[in-house]
Amino acid sequence: MTPLDRKLFRDLWGLKSQALAVASVMACGLAMMIMARSLILSIETARDNYYRDYRFAQVFAQLKRAPMPLREELAKIPGIGTVQTSIAMMVTLDLPDMAEPAMGLIQSLPEHGELQLNRVHLRRGRMLVGPAGHDELLVSEAFAEAHGLQPGDRIAAILYGRKQTFRIAGIVLSPEYVYEALPGVALPDNRSFGVFWMPYKELATATELYGAFNKVELTLAPGASARAVIAAVDRLLEPYGGRGAYARQDHYSHMRLNDEIRTLTVLSIGFPLVFLSVAAFMVSSVMNRQITMQRGQIAVLKACGFSNRQVGWHYLKFALVIVVVGAGLGVLGGIVLGHRLVDMYHVFFRFPALHFLLDSRVVAIATGLSALAAIAGVWGSVRAAVRLPPAQAMRPEPPASYRPSFLERTAFGRRFPASLRMALRNIERRPLRALLTSVALALATGILVVPNAINDGIDYVLNFQWDLIQRHTVMLSLNEPGPPRALADLRSLPGVVRAEPFRAAAVEFRNGSRTRLINVVGLPSDATLDRVLDSRSRRIALPPHGLVISAKLGEVLGVKPGDPLVMRVLEGRRPQLVVPVAEFCDDFAGVTAYLDMAALNRALGEGDRISGAYLTVADGQWREFLRKIKETPKTRSVVIKAAMRASFRQSTEQLIGVIRMIYLVFATVVAFGIVYNSTRIALSESQRELATLRVIGFTQGEVGAVLADELVLLTLAALPVGLLLGSVFAAGIVTSINTEFVRLPLVFTAANYAYAVMVVALASLLSVVLACRYLNRLDLVGVLKAAE
Amino acid sequence: MSAAPASPGPSTPAAPPEGREPVFHVRGLTKVYGTGEASVTALAGVDLDFFEGELIVLLGASGSGKSTLLNNLGGLDAPTGGSLSYRGWNLGEADEESLTRYRRDRVGFVFQFYNLIPSLTARENVALITEIARDPMPPEEALHLVGLGNRIDHFPAQMSGGEQQRVAIARAIAKRPEVLLCDEPTGALDVHTGITVLEALEHINRELGALTVVITHNAIIAGMSDRVFTLSDGRIVNVRANATRAAVSSLEW
Repeated sequence: MTPLDRKLFRDLWGLKSQALAVASVMACGLAMMIMARSLILSIETARDNYYRDYRFAQVFAQLKRAPMPLREELAKIPGIGTVQTSIAMMVTLDLPDMAEPAMGLIQSLPEHGELQLNRVHLRRGRMLVGPAGHDELLVSEAFAEAHGLQPGDRIAAILYGRKQTFRIAGIVLSPEYVYEALPGVALPDNRSFGVFWMPYKELATATELYGAFNKVELTLAPGASARAVIAAVDRLLEPYGGRGAYARQDHYSHMRLNDEIRTLTVLSIGFPLVFLSVAAFMVSSVMNRQITMQRGQIAVLKACGFSNRQVGWHYLKFALVIVVVGAGLGVLGGIVLGHRLVDMYHVFFRFPALHFLLDSRVVAIATGLSALAAIAGVWGSVRAAVRLPPAQAMRPEPPASYRPSFLERTAFGRRFPASLRMALRNIERRPLRALLTSVALALATGILVVPNAINDGIDYVLNFQWDLIQRHTVMLSLNEPGPPRALADLRSLPGVVRAEPFRAAAVEFRNGSRTRLINVVGLPSDATLDRVLDSRSRRIALPPHGLVISAKLGEVLGVKPGDPLVMRVLEGRRPQLVVPVAEFCDDFAGVTAYLDMAALNRALGEGDRISGAYLTVADGQWREFLRKIKETPKTRSVVIKAAMRASFRQSTEQLIGVIRMIYLVFATVVAFGIVYNSTRIALSESQRELATLRVIGFTQGEVGAVLADELVLLTLAALPVGLLLGSVFAAGIVTSINTEFVRLPLVFTAANYAYAVMVVALASLLSVVLACRYLNRLDLVGVLKAAE
Repeated sequence: MSAAPASPGPSTPAAPPEGREPVFHVRGLTKVYGTGEASVTALAGVDLDFFEGELIVLLGASGSGKSTLLNNLGGLDAPTGGSLSYRGWNLGEADEESLTRYRRDRVGFVFQFYNLIPSLTARENVALITEIARDPMPPEEALHLVGLGNRIDHFPAQMSGGEQQRVAIARAIAKRPEVLLCDEPTGALDVHTGITVLEALEHINRELGALTVVITHNAIIAGMSDRVFTLSDGRIVNVRANATRAAVSSLEW
């Protein structure tokens, strides 16, 4: 090692706490970026492998009922690769560990051979092959885990009004249900919804669909147009109650997966970028100070014949060592956190294998970017230092000129204590340094605002969804739309306090070439249990004609209020109408479309019908109510808000919680790093003055007060700017989380701001204490003697 | 890089050096800092010739221009006007790269405040230079020459001012410089320590035969030199040659 490198390492050792602070900030940014990008890579790789190996279909369609021979017709459509037809049926499950009923989607396995498409992956137990397996079924892993079900366990389901018991043969996964949730439900609840597979013959017999199918999956031939195939499939299936075929990109599980990747992508850019810029700023301020302090040494090196390049490289290496340490810590952190999160993603997304894959390209790019940022930050001061003629560099900087500060010149300023006056003069004398310190403190404050803004946004969405929109306890859907007296039946269920009907129908909205398959919901004009709200939680009254749709749906379809929208109903008499968009509602989870119930019923042309009801149930009769609906054959699905909420807490919230924690901890580390660093730099710059004060008789406390007062003043100036800056950062990041599944509102709470202020204040306090300890240990004479 | 002249052969310290090629040939040298009303004239037309092996003392009050002259001779600062040549090479108009080369290969500097790198030991401070020099002596040898053979692995903070200055001298001579430029080398030292430092310089001037220029405002030190130049207001006001150099140990102030 050359003496110059030895100098480098010893100087760095002397700067270790600051260098470590900078390296940690950089590590936080890198860890976040590497974690998120690696998660994306891991999920995408797992997804692609899964889809390929288990032959995930490319086009999907559901229908009421079509005879088996139609399958051959489907297979003749040009552009189709493989066709698979099957039966899928919603059933009510009776589980011993749940008072309320759970929903099951039972799908059929082919009578002969294996599934051609959407093959299942066996986790445990065994598959059902051939005609064997009477009274046996396969169950999805997410549901099995939520209920602790094992192969060999028994489970009761109500099929077409008849309660039957099945034995679980195997626990499986399917590429169709990577994200296993009831379509249209914004949040997964693996306790109340599961997917099952059983032999065709058995399912078909039980559901009176023998010789028919109600589900189609297919792949496209190479080069075939999905749109043309979908149109042809729709034409063929329409007489059989086809609900509109859709391509993979509209497949619920697939969409949800892609949305997650999109959100991760946003998080992998916004946050780390802020952190890395802060780190670059810190490297630059540390190195500026270091270079200023080493002016004399630089001059000596040059006097001794070191070239500008050698000297410049020496100081750039300072920055690079910090980058290397930061990158090392960051990569390590990213790998550790990534592993942890990949395991947790299992709750959300089920793959046969989801392994953590380090995105080494991102590691290289991120490290390179950090190095570049650090070099850019240091370049200016290195250049200035090497350009200074050595003779000039060796001369001490001219003494600073002091004068009473601006505030002191005002009348009340004279009453300031001496330490405050000195602090004010210090600030006024070195405005640039004061500005830089304030900028750093503002950044620290700003960074802290972002993760809490995301948290508050999520909380707002959950409350909005569960407390403001949904005021019912249960949503109950009927197997088939029923007459108004069905509502009376529901009202007479034990404990029901209030019941409000709704009408729902699967429709396809179309505006030009843009389409969306969705359930349009009809609510009575006086509905109170499920409300349509705007973003400010104000109730929107459904107009007698015209749709109220999510603003996001409007964006997807390219319509605005007043525009007409083609609504093709995919059930019943399948009318096609043109309905105007009356209003947008700014909701946050999923996309919805509402119509006045009477208007919807008129449009559907089946008379006064209801699809189900929202109910409030009295606490005391809850058990009785649940027992009763478990036995009600006409129930298609029962969604219990409280169960949904509890399940969300157990699964999703844990994952979100971990991510929240990571971001918050990182932001706090960064804030502390910045504040500590700024204090150290301020201390180093005023060390001589403070030592002089000590020598001429100021006490340790008084000298500490000068330092503290200065930092307090700068912190006070920085906090409002920081809160504003943080709000801007947060707005940028939060509003870019904008998918059809979830959109986050910008929510800034007092608690968020208070936390940011508190952390920065605490960090400042701690930094002052550390700085004072350092000052007290200082060799006063040594400092004064040293020619700065 | 070839702008600097070839290294001359070894020489013995000479008596008054009339009729020989000077190492430094300076005519009408000026240096002005700043511009306009704020400008300060540090050198206002200096003429001089320094010869090989000489031990020169530059005397003058502070602000007389001694340091500026020394910095210009050492290639640390560029003159504003006049001519400045080193062994026939126009030093005054050399570019940054040749100046770096010149300082690296030919010049040793000793400063009033030692200017050691605090994070390096005595040996490492010297090794810093021997790593880049053309024909250096081992750092240990240089430290022995200044009488610090026993303090080789000490950090600057662990040494007295005199010791630090001698490390600085060892650092300057380890490259076997042709010119040794010392700016108030005893300025920050007490008499006794100052003497040991001057003895070291004297010894090296004799051993290595390097042209040695010492700045001081202490007239007594002038006795140890071959010639004494007195500066005032940026001009040379007096040149005096000593018939014999006084022994350093005989100096007192």
